[in-house]
Amino acid sequence: MEEEAETQEQQRFSYQQRLKAAVHYTVGCLCEEVALDKEMQFSKQTIAAISELTFRQCENFAKDLETFARHAKRTTINTEDVKLLARRSNSLLKYITDKSEEIAQINLERKAQKKKKSEDGSKNSREPAEAGVVGSEN
Amino acid sequence: MEGAGAGAGFRKVRCCDLPVADAGGLAGCSQELVSRLLHLHFKDDKTKVSGDALQLTAELLKIFVVEAAVRGVRQAQAEDALRVDVEQLEKVLPQLLLDF
Repeated sequence: MEEEAETQEQQRFSYQQRLKAAVHYTVGCLCEEVALDKEMQFSKQTIAAISELTFRQCENFAKDLETFARHAKRTTINTEDVKLLARRSNSLLKYITDKSEEIAQINLERKAQKKKKSEDGSKNSREPAEAGVVGSEN
Repeated sequence: MEGAGAGAGFRKVRCCDLPVADAGGLAGCSQELVSRLLHLHFKDDKTKVSGDALQLTAELLKIFVVEAAVRGVRQAQAEDALRVDVEQLEKVLPQLLLDF
């Protein structure tokens, strides 16, 4: 029984390590972009530090988000909860609010496109023509 | 740490078997990575995240990283340093954490 608890602990630990590695890779790429843009290099330790920071900040975000949702008597976290996370800095809050409207707009358009596609599909079901093929945007 | 692997030429880039980038390029972490990071720390198993909230959180995390990087650069420039070392990062850390 103790062995099982230990392997579970080990599994969780190695899963965490994999997540940390993925975060480290992403942070590295983002820092690379900044380095190119500002023409200033980052030391490896700095990137590792930022990546550790980000991982820990995620824990804070996750717990806060869960608490906000539960406070609103929900089990699903929504964009209002995320906006609350950004409350400490005015410019951050404004940026996140604008972003959330942008995201909502894009998703709305995507849904409208999908709906249109399926409507066209059912109209064309009698004809085996490929005229209804929709090009994908890139 | 494993590299990007064979997936680097395609849309999805994987690291340690987790997708870190997708079609939009590295527009912040990939959604799946963010989702896994959040679920790792949830106390309640029933907690879920809406799609929009996930995208927004990914954006927030991206800003966090970029802000840390840019402030580090500014500090290094102010000190006439050749590159951003942990010393510069330590100086910008307090304000960064207060802003988030």
